[in-house]
Amino acid sequence: MGAYRHFPVLMITIPMLGAVLLPFLGYLRKRWVATATLLPLAVSAVLGLLLIGRIPADGYLSYELGSWTPHFGIEIRVDYLGLFMMLIVCGISLLALVFSMRYIEREVEGPKLTAFYVLFLLLSAAMLGFTATGDIFNLFVFMEILALSSYALVAVAGNRNAVRAAFKYLLMGAPSSIMVLLAIGFLYSVTGSLNMADLSTRIAESSYSEVLIVAYILFVIGFGVKAALFPMHMWLPDAHSIAPSPVSAMLSGLLVEVSAFAIIRVTFSVFGSGAENLIGGTVDALGIFAAAAVLFGGIMAIIQKDLKMMIAYSTISHIGYIFLGITAFTAEGLAGAMYHVLDHGLAKACLFLCAGSFIYVKGYRRIDDLKGAWRQMPWTCFAFAVASISVIGVPPTAGFISKWYLILGNIEAGNYFYVFVLLSGSILAAVYCFRVIYYMFFQPPKEGAWESRTNEASPSMLAPIWILSFGTLFFGVFSYLLIPSLLKAAAFLL
Amino acid sequence: MKKIISLLFISALGVLLLFVVASMPRMGDPESPTREHVIPRYLENAEEETNSPNVITGIILNYRGYDTSGEVTVIFCALACVLAILGREKRGRIHSYVDRSPVPASPVVKTMVRFLAPFIILFSVYTILHGEISPGGGFQGGAIVGASIIIFTTIFGLWEASRRIPQKFRVPLEGSAFIIFFIVGILGIVGGGNFLTYAWPNIANNLQPSVVLWLTIIVEIGIGLGGAMVLISILFAMMREEEAIAPTA
Repeated sequence: MGAYRHFPVLMITIPMLGAVLLPFLGYLRKRWVATATLLPLAVSAVLGLLLIGRIPADGYLSYELGSWTPHFGIEIRVDYLGLFMMLIVCGISLLALVFSMRYIEREVEGPKLTAFYVLFLLLSAAMLGFTATGDIFNLFVFMEILALSSYALVAVAGNRNAVRAAFKYLLMGAPSSIMVLLAIGFLYSVTGSLNMADLSTRIAESSYSEVLIVAYILFVIGFGVKAALFPMHMWLPDAHSIAPSPVSAMLSGLLVEVSAFAIIRVTFSVFGSGAENLIGGTVDALGIFAAAAVLFGGIMAIIQKDLKMMIAYSTISHIGYIFLGITAFTAEGLAGAMYHVLDHGLAKACLFLCAGSFIYVKGYRRIDDLKGAWRQMPWTCFAFAVASISVIGVPPTAGFISKWYLILGNIEAGNYFYVFVLLSGSILAAVYCFRVIYYMFFQPPKEGAWESRTNEASPSMLAPIWILSFGTLFFGVFSYLLIPSLLKAAAFLL
Repeated sequence: MKKIISLLFISALGVLLLFVVASMPRMGDPESPTREHVIPRYLENAEEETNSPNVITGIILNYRGYDTSGEVTVIFCALACVLAILGREKRGRIHSYVDRSPVPASPVVKTMVRFLAPFIILFSVYTILHGEISPGGGFQGGAIVGASIIIFTTIFGLWEASRRIPQKFRVPLEGSAFIIFFIVGILGIVGGGNFLTYAWPNIANNLQPSVVLWLTIIVEIGIGLGGAMVLISILFAMMREEEAIAPTA
């Protein structure tokens, strides 16, 4: 056993330590805070990259905290999907952070900047801990950090609308946390264990099937609110469109996906083996909600006038995609869902950051105002177009690959209706994305709206946007690097 | 319409939960699954393995110390949320609503608070240091310190209170709970175990119990200090805000 087995826990705790030390640095040297925030996240990312290849696709790295054997102490269990998720979290957080170094000064007052960076680090650390843990109560602890910091990050701009959106999010989020806690309590009362792997064997032997079914329903509702699954999505459009753009990118590109990943964990790692017949009904219902989400989100995105609102509704639609991959219960479907997490994370973060740079440079939020934006901001517009194409799912972008596997998985499961839904979701996406692209590139600008010479946002804002949009192309073309392992990992999980 | 839908949803949830409670194992049933699996080891071996006579302390700081390190981060996160929305109190002289209250605090109350505050803080020190033996511990002790400062601040005003606990003193200590958890965790790795291992495999067996005890006490102190400072900073931030809302006299 090399030193690398300590890496997952260090990936989680180093950003937390950074967050805890940051206020002191902010007190001494305010100007260094933004740069200092990058350091712990970069360390985490490097540790995560070093772990690549050390975790087999059909295995996991188990780490016993405090050297206690798993169901007495807490276990961190990083499997291939977990590492995949952790690397996505590190990468997108870093890029959103680089973007926000310049952007956020305009939205957040000076004295509150330190608190913003502290919350940002805490959010990233919590998402890492949330995906890596193998203990269901530990999952809840990290969910608390994740939820609390995201409420405050929505409100950080401090104006009335931001606080109202954050409060709405809080009102939805707090009961959902309670539901997850109740579900954990129910599971504990009938199994006496909190370790996920131990739970799954004990659930298979348990005779308390009613309690288990309700616990699963509560998990689905609880994490469903955090993931903004269709009937529980009400908080998302306001929160994601009003939050500062890098925060929107984090919430939309990572937080909802991480919550969906929690449902994957609960469904497959806890209930999956042995209790499939118990949760079957709930999973079917989940599939119906997911299909409704795909259509509802797409239609609502078409009628939006505000750019960030449109992207937010598109997120609701795409969460539906991820859930349709989960409910197919096939390796292809699950691999497609995971690949969609990657693709959607990159593309949505890119779109929100592009929207952010339009706001930063011109202050424009409405789609109508983007007519002819190409003349002044060609680089941002091209990146936006690439990311939009990935959202629609046109080859050679990663969106195509993930949708392909989602459709394959649903065909294999025999859910032909969902295949139809997935395809029509893409048509809806084409409608709302091509409208914006058409405005940007092929419409004359309004009088005085855009200068005719290039006048872009600063390179530190442009670089993350381009890396993200390049990422959607890269993972579309080189999908063979990841897909076989993802398929194997998904088959291992099932 | 909205009200009817919410009512239906809530009552459906209520019925579901009642139904579950009815089919759960009975409270105190010696044969319920919780009694057979993890609990027996905690009850029988915790004192020996974690070296703390109070089993609860053994569980929250040692067996499940990682959860507790997450919980102290939740507390810290609450402070960061307050500061992100309200901002810190300004340095220098501050007048809050309480300072300018038209009704001054009565001398009886002032004297009592002045007299009791040291004793309350002393009691909290006992609570923190005896956490591994008796009920109590870092969280409770920290809350008691925070409460004593809250009483002091509401009676004497923010200016008096923030002079005694200035920002330069609070800021480094706010995160002490997690910092100490992290240091103990790293020491566990250095000592040859995993993160947050209290009983280092690399040291002699006869030294292990005292190391475990000292690490537990240090963690308790860190939690107490950090929790207290977070509570005080949240209070101060909220009081400054009250000044902005209150009409100027």
